Amino acid sequence: MSREEVFDTLNEVFRDVFDDESIMVNEATTSDDIEDWDSLEHINLIAAVEQEFGVKFTMGQVVTMKNVGEMADIIMSQI
Amino acid sequence: MGATFTSFYFLCFYACILIIYYLIPRKTQWVFLLLSGIAYYLLSGNGILILYPVGACLAAYIGICIMDRTESVKGKRAAMAGVVLLLIGSLFVLKYVNFGINTINGIAGLFGAEAAVLGGLKFMVPLGISFYTFSVLGFVIDVYNGIAVPQRNFFKLALYGMYFPSILSGPILRYREDGEQFFTPHPFNYREVTFGLQRMVWGFFKTLVISERMRLVVDTVYGNYGDYPGAYIWLATVCYAFQLYTNFSGCMDIVLGMSQTFGIRLPENFETPFFAKNISEYWRKWHITLGVWMKEYVFYPLLRTGTFTRLSKKMRERFGKKRGKQFTTFLAMFALWFAVGIWHGGNWKYVIGSGLLHWFYIVSGELLTPFFDKFMARFRIDPKKRLVNIFRILRTFFLVNIGFVFFRADSTADAFHMLKGAVSVWNAGILFDGSVFTLGLDFIEFTIAAGSLLILLSVSVMQQKESVRERIEKKKLPIRWMIWYALLFYTILLGNYGPGYSAAEFIYQGF
Repeated sequence: MSREEVFDTLNEVFRDVFDDESIMVNEATTSDDIEDWDSLEHINLIAAVEQEFGVKFTMGQVVTMKNVGEMADIIMSQI
Repeated sequence: MGATFTSFYFLCFYACILIIYYLIPRKTQWVFLLLSGIAYYLLSGNGILILYPVGACLAAYIGICIMDRTESVKGKRAAMAGVVLLLIGSLFVLKYVNFGINTINGIAGLFGAEAAVLGGLKFMVPLGISFYTFSVLGFVIDVYNGIAVPQRNFFKLALYGMYFPSILSGPILRYREDGEQFFTPHPFNYREVTFGLQRMVWGFFKTLVISERMRLVVDTVYGNYGDYPGAYIWLATVCYAFQLYTNFSGCMDIVLGMSQTFGIRLPENFETPFFAKNISEYWRKWHITLGVWMKEYVFYPLLRTGTFTRLSKKMRERFGKKRGKQFTTFLAMFALWFAVGIWHGGNWKYVIGSGLLHWFYIVSGELLTPFFDKFMARFRIDPKKRLVNIFRILRTFFLVNIGFVFFRADSTADAFHMLKGAVSVWNAGILFDGSVFTLGLDFIEFTIAAGSLLILLSVSVMQQKESVRERIEKKKLPIRWMIWYALLFYTILLGNYGPGYSAAEFIYQGF
């Protein structure tokens, strides 16, 4: 899977989790850019991404991930 | 000496430390801070209790060394779990055994038992146990998760765990972000030292001028609430909100300012919480480091356990994606808020006032959002309008105040009686007929308190746009000095002092 394909799939996951078809994520997207991305939704998002890609984030990655680019890096390293 | 930062003796102690800190070789500064921390702890109360924080640091050190040396995941997990059990176990025994005993006795009483079923236990609780335990535990768990570099020097770890400005009242530290700066040399930096001292003065202003005045009104009403129904209770509760905020955030200004004079930046604990528009936002602005700790080490791990993952899947299959997801999140949040409440102390008034009541608010808010949205759309109310935001801020402040009634009352039963008294008597007239001046603050004292609160409000509003200290720094020297000396003398002249020139204890030092 290429990085673009990872981002395409991530877009779908984000839109599904946050119920917002207008979301377009990129390398620099953070929780500040998406209104509903708070600590309550963070774990739901992580679970949805794990299920979609068949990957597993460690607890350390869950709390230190700074943006969607880092999320994509971790996904790329596991698929 | 007394542990309180506002005591005259402590200020002398701090002044000596600051001078020596910049005179000794920079490589030894961290050792000096460790020795100062030990001296502070020994002089602050029962010296023998220092064995608890030392023991906690030692346990963490052994656990970290084992995790560092073993490659086995099982071994790492066992070391981490051992430290967590030991530290949480000692916290539980020292702070919460009587909570369990009292709860069992209370339940037995409901079923007709006339005497206590279990006898209470008495322990000497070390100062700051809830703060240093969480700072050290977070570090151990971060090493296990691979996101913090293990500290191989016990004395350095002991400095992190027993750093004297923050050991008694926080903020709760995160080694992976705050740790290394404790051990690096800090040359004298005029700007950092003056900025730190300025922040300390601001903290003294909040604590001595505002908090101590609010305390007089609060103690009068809460100590005799039977004589002060209706509007008295509302007024005293609002005063308590400002007392607690100025006391705790003032203490944090002193701690962070003091630390800045050593060249060490600690994490912020407050960000104008009474400007929050909803309860979730309030908790992102009030006691920030506790909220972050609970999120990272309780809420997230709980939601990622196998049990919660399976439950979440089942609920989604049964109730649909949105409702199913909400169910498990709310359940984990219940555990989170119970933990936040009980962290403050083994008493149901804390569990309710600072925990479960806020859980109820957030869950209700989440469930009612669609109805509110429809209501706003139906009456064509623009949610971004200033008036709507002011309403939201006032609503959040009101809800938080209900929690403060529990937090401040002597017991949960007293809190319920007070809330009943607050709504069953209509006497708003007392706010205007001079009765408020009989609650411990006469007209002049009340005016000073109101004026000082106005200064606090103005600075808080300015702080939203730009750092007030940096703003003052840009002004010409005479104006700059005039502002800081005016604040200093205002605090010295109008501060309310107790015996030995020391204000009442900081409320959060009890936790």
